[in-house]
Amino acid sequence: MARRSQGTKLHLAVLCLVVSCHAIGLSDLMERASQRSDKLHSLSTSLNKDLDSHFPPMGRVMMPRPSMCHTSSLQTPKDKEQALRVSENELISLARSLLLAWNDPLLLLSSEAPTLPHPSNGDISSKIRELQDYSKSLGDGLDILVNKMGPSSQYISSIPFKGGDLGNDKTSRLINFHFLMSCFRRDSHKIDSFLKVLRCRATKMRPETC
Amino acid sequence: MWGEVGGALVLLLLLSEVLDCIGISPPGKPVLINCRSPEKETFTCRWDPGFDGGLPTTHHLYYQKEDSDGMYECPDYQAAGSNSCFFNKSHTSIWVNYNITVVAINSLGSTVSDPLEVDVMYIVQPNAPENVTVSVVETEESPHLLVKWEPPHEADTRSGWITLTYQLRVKRQNKKEGEWEEYASGKQTQLIIYSLHPGDVYMVQLRCKLDHSLWSEWSTTTHTEVPDYILKERSIWIVITVFSAFILLLVTFTLAMKRKYVKHCLLPPVPGPKISGLDTQLLKSGRSEDILSSLINQGFPPTIATKDQQVDYLLVFDSEQVTPDLQNGQTRTKNIDHGRYDHSLLMEANNKEVKVGGRETVEQGYSEGLESTFWKTKSLSHPCPQKKPFNNVTEMPKQAPVSSKYRSLSHHKDLLDSLARHLDYRETVVKSQSNCDDKHLSSQNIVTPLKAIGYVEVQRWKKSIGLQVLVPKMDKSQEDYSTVSVVENENVVLLKRETVPLNCTSCKLRGNQSEKCLQQKPCKPHMTVPAKEGVYIGSNGYVEPVTISHTL
Repeated sequence: MARRSQGTKLHLAVLCLVVSCHAIGLSDLMERASQRSDKLHSLSTSLNKDLDSHFPPMGRVMMPRPSMCHTSSLQTPKDKEQALRVSENELISLARSLLLAWNDPLLLLSSEAPTLPHPSNGDISSKIRELQDYSKSLGDGLDILVNKMGPSSQYISSIPFKGGDLGNDKTSRLINFHFLMSCFRRDSHKIDSFLKVLRCRATKMRPETC
Repeated sequence: MWGEVGGALVLLLLLSEVLDCIGISPPGKPVLINCRSPEKETFTCRWDPGFDGGLPTTHHLYYQKEDSDGMYECPDYQAAGSNSCFFNKSHTSIWVNYNITVVAINSLGSTVSDPLEVDVMYIVQPNAPENVTVSVVETEESPHLLVKWEPPHEADTRSGWITLTYQLRVKRQNKKEGEWEEYASGKQTQLIIYSLHPGDVYMVQLRCKLDHSLWSEWSTTTHTEVPDYILKERSIWIVITVFSAFILLLVTFTLAMKRKYVKHCLLPPVPGPKISGLDTQLLKSGRSEDILSSLINQGFPPTIATKDQQVDYLLVFDSEQVTPDLQNGQTRTKNIDHGRYDHSLLMEANNKEVKVGGRETVEQGYSEGLESTFWKTKSLSHPCPQKKPFNNVTEMPKQAPVSSKYRSLSHHKDLLDSLARHLDYRETVVKSQSNCDDKHLSSQNIVTPLKAIGYVEVQRWKKSIGLQVLVPKMDKSQEDYSTVSVVENENVVLLKRETVPLNCTSCKLRGNQSEKCLQQKPCKPHMTVPAKEGVYIGSNGYVEPVTISHTL
């Protein structure tokens, strides 16, 4: 009897160790992922500022409404209570879906950026390329993360992008470019928020990371 | 009909004019100033009401959300003060566009403001950090300021919905033109500031931001005074430093003054070698004859120091020329200076018969020290059986007096003189005659080395061979025996000098005659340098040494 309890104690200890090791690895991954998403959002914000500096006067009126973003079909939490009620698996799935949905549009934007009728289109072009890099890196990190989290977290919603090109004339091209960038800005903010909530939940032992 | 319409219009115009004169009008256009969310959960919109038109005016805020239809009115007009609308948590959605307008209504009319598009994610701006405490921590090495604070009370930092980062700035009050020094604090709620100026008052301010939001306002300034005691501690160290520097200077000055003494103390001069009798100054002067004369000094070889020594010469002649007077032991004395050559000298061998032999050999004895030597002659075993006993030509008293007698070997008289002159060593020549009827007449040439350490005994010579001078080795300790190594030509006989160990023991005589070991008195140890020496007898009759070696 004593031997059995000792054996169980040993097993428990080993299990705790494994779990803690596992947890530490996960929190580390989460930290890195949230850092990348933070950088992603900062880049998109600065891009939008560049675009805002040279905007046609009627552009605001002509700009499509944000509900016209191709990712608006994806149901995401709209406030803090809703976000905190979402499970971790769903949060990670949402983040990955949003990220995946922007691969094609970013390709389009990077191809259109050099010919954009904008004074600093070179700057914009390089920033778009940087965006693509960070997006790819974040996507890879999240893939590794879901492997650790389990199979139920690996579901991704597919969001097709239908916009073929930005338009024919200069104004519409610029406006559509700006619109796409504003959609991306919002979606990158969503991804960042979700990952930060996940990060806080993954490190229950260290509240200072929240 | 037209008249009625016209009349109504005129009436309205008159009315508005009258109203203007009175000062009332529909409200002016309100302007939405901004909307702010302090914690990403609620937000507040504020507007400027504008001119109220002189009448009581009410304002209404209406908003539209992008994802739903319908116009909604502001849920709370009071919570945030006048001319504001507070959207609580249930009415706040993020990532949703709000289209907000404000309508001002008074009895005369209403005016609508310009719409404002708002997304909560863009309008986040937290309040300043709270409970800022600054304390001076006084440690031995470096006192520092410890600044602690708390996040704004409405911010929820535990769920991960928001992440606060802080910024701090410090300024010294005494420095009027000073600028704020900014420090980033990340997510920590405390910071340490080093490098303080004692006695100064420091001002600290803080601000924060939520993720990508706008920075908050700077918090209220906190003043802290750093006490003065640090300066006192430093002043003691300054005094100590100055004092020690002064002492160091003094010591350096003293050392500089007494340079030579210090140098003598630390680096004592290396004593030069002292060779007795060698005058370095004379060497330096470079005059050769003086050098030579100084080299051949008085005290070397160690003999009787006086010059007035009786020198007995034993003259060696050819056998036919042996004169009877020589048998009487006539000796010639001559003073010979001491010399440093300690090799043996041989007679010349000019294919003449040199009588060798003798019944006696010269024996040398040693006295204490090297000042005196004496020789004794000893009987030699005579090679010729027929011969009569021969008395020695010279006999020296057995008790060796301090005086030494020189024997010089000479074939000719002038040779003798030259020998005496040039060689300056003592030699003993024992001349003995043998009555051998053969050619082996005695002609004794015994050469003794300068130091009278050993003796050279010429045993015998054979005409056919030439002169053969054999030096019996008395014993191992005898130093000055010389053996002839070779007779090179008519004029040169090469002697072989051998070192002899210290103990004088038995000797060995070469030759085919019976040998008798000559006992010797114990000899004093001498150090000799083995050398191959030779004697060259030049055409002018001079005998010159070929090699020189020093003994001692």
